[in-house]
Amino acid sequence: MNSKSRKGNSVFIVSLLLTLTFIIWGVFFTDNLAYVTNIVYNGSIDYLGWLYLGATLFFVIFSIYLLFSKYGDIRLGKKTDRPDFNTVSWFAMLFGAGMGIGIVYWGVAEPVTHYTNPPYGEPYTIEAANTAMKFTFFHWGLDPWAIYTVIGLALAFFQYNKRLPAAISSAFYPILGDKIYGPIGKTIDILSVFATVFGIATSLGLGAMQVTAGMHDIFGIPNTLFIQLIVIAVATVIFIISINTGLERGIQYLSNTAMILSFAIMLLILIIGPTLTIIKVFFNTTGLYISDFIPMSLRLIPFGEGEEWIASWTLFYWAWWIAWAPFVGMFIARVSKGRTVREFVIGVLIVPTLGTCLWMSIFGGSALELVQQAGNENLAAYISENVSLSIFTFFDYLPLNSLLSILGFAVVAIYYITVADTATFVLGMLSEGGTLNPSNKIKVTWGVIQSGLAAVLLLAGGLEVLQTASIAAALPFTIILIVMTFSLLKGLNSEVEVQKGNKRIRNS
Amino acid sequence: MKLYQVRKGQFVYYNNQLHKVYGIKAMYKQSIHLIRLRDLTQHLAKSAEVERYKPKELDSFNFNQKAYTLRNRKAEEGDYILIHNPRPDSLDTYFLNEIEMVEKADNKGIITTNSHGVKHNEYLLMEPGRDKDSYPIDFKDIQTVDSANLDDMELQNLSDLNSELLPSIGDIYKKNDNNKILETMVIAISAQAVYLGGGLEVSPVELMNDDNWEFLYNLQDYEE
Repeated sequence: MNSKSRKGNSVFIVSLLLTLTFIIWGVFFTDNLAYVTNIVYNGSIDYLGWLYLGATLFFVIFSIYLLFSKYGDIRLGKKTDRPDFNTVSWFAMLFGAGMGIGIVYWGVAEPVTHYTNPPYGEPYTIEAANTAMKFTFFHWGLDPWAIYTVIGLALAFFQYNKRLPAAISSAFYPILGDKIYGPIGKTIDILSVFATVFGIATSLGLGAMQVTAGMHDIFGIPNTLFIQLIVIAVATVIFIISINTGLERGIQYLSNTAMILSFAIMLLILIIGPTLTIIKVFFNTTGLYISDFIPMSLRLIPFGEGEEWIASWTLFYWAWWIAWAPFVGMFIARVSKGRTVREFVIGVLIVPTLGTCLWMSIFGGSALELVQQAGNENLAAYISENVSLSIFTFFDYLPLNSLLSILGFAVVAIYYITVADTATFVLGMLSEGGTLNPSNKIKVTWGVIQSGLAAVLLLAGGLEVLQTASIAAALPFTIILIVMTFSLLKGLNSEVEVQKGNKRIRNS
Repeated sequence: MKLYQVRKGQFVYYNNQLHKVYGIKAMYKQSIHLIRLRDLTQHLAKSAEVERYKPKELDSFNFNQKAYTLRNRKAEEGDYILIHNPRPDSLDTYFLNEIEMVEKADNKGIITTNSHGVKHNEYLLMEPGRDKDSYPIDFKDIQTVDSANLDDMELQNLSDLNSELLPSIGDIYKKNDNNKILETMVIAISAQAVYLGGGLEVSPVELMNDDNWEFLYNLQDYEE
């Protein structure tokens, strides 16, 4: 027990020091931080962009393989365990945790931005609209969910079936054995904490920008950096109070409310928006997505220009999902006990992909119809230049716009608080050797740190530095994830052997 | 007691005996689904027929045919706990009055065999046996119970159990213990004890507890 608690503390202290160094760097040497992160960014894209693309495609193939493999019947947990949540709330939770704030932020902005600045072809054309929707599906479809499937399944399997601590290093037990408790395991855990802090800070930065945009739209409060920092500060105070006073139940009700509101907004737009166009967009884009999946997955431009588009969209997303992966994976593992591997893959890969594609069709399809029908190129340009405001700009063109704006603002604000709150729990778990009882002190420390980091990243230059920073943090974790798939395979194999033994005897 | 006051997990008295609410089906006539703590049998009731009881320190009751006394002490590995003050984190799934077994304990709290992290102020320890200062809560009105001999209840009444599930000679069981590999066979059964190869003697109820033992097969079935 002593050795384990020492391990937890060192992971906490080292990752805390690393993160604090980064924050101090951002506060006192802002320009230098932007300069260095840019170098890392450019370097990782120029030299290692292919690694992100290859790894992510591999995760999709691996996840689909798991779906049809002999491991499908393995239950996460004891054979008698049954799921803690019913299937509908399970889907809702996965959807909310995996995307949450992101789909609200990008649902309108991304298709419109691709329409004005497509990866190839002429902008502002019907072809550009189709390409825009296709790439939106691609960025939010199978790939992110495959990353979550791999890490979530590995964490759940080693935690529930092999009774190891809820830490990323546990997923390497078949390869490392008891070394997971030594320096190698610690390094993995430190990297995962570091990647998580950055992933969450990116989301919180985006969230703060959008909350401020919402307040500007609804209440006329100025949309400035100063107000964004105030939003971060207020949110920090709120979730620290919730950590210390045991309002976790309240947070659960809030996150359920956010999910119900999200679905309500989605249905409302489906009904009052261009319903037929949305349905056509959904079917048409699904076809394009399926047929072009492999070319899109491996798309790099070795002999021409346009590399920048891939870097600032596809590679950013892959890095962002990977940076998010320890957090979302831990969350998914936590709520998926009692499911079989097959159920898990259907629930984490297939259903959320369909849900996200539907969401993107509804928001993106309506927005593109608005831009195309009205022939309003200015609107498209305005949306793509004011990404944080995009959803509110979009609502202004729909009936019931005040109601939609208020609902949208509520969803963003609630997601913001719940993500921050859940993240502190996960960071506490990760940095304390996989304990399920992270102490309040550690949770509060991480709460303050992740808000500080979000603030620093905003101060240092807004979204671009957020993007750059997450790519830098995700790079080592990509390699960790690849090794994790092999470790998971090894673990599943040994489980099949055990279960096959029992089955043979029972059936005879 | 009105339906909206009844919650999953509450301890209630029904037919004068202590039960736990495991489900509420608002549309059903008998909307309260109960499990009797004494022997884990299931019962259906209406909200008007149940009355809530909040367990506290030094209460004693029978759970799965064994007596326990509630203590406000830190639990250790292998102990049973009653989560009487649940404050689950946003990723936890436990709720009021769950009874779980401790897998690991440290200064901050415990981790149960169901992978729940429970802080020390959220639970009461279930100490085996009835303390002489304890207050039995098995019955709401103990005076009305004919043979109110609490010790009698602790005897395992095998006739209540489903006979198909009972251990029989030739059953092979595996002990669910990560540290040791132990497989053993039932070699004799008396009224209250099952004798296993290797000189082990356990109660039938313990042997049927999936957390402790796993039934593998019966030797006779296998030979056929």
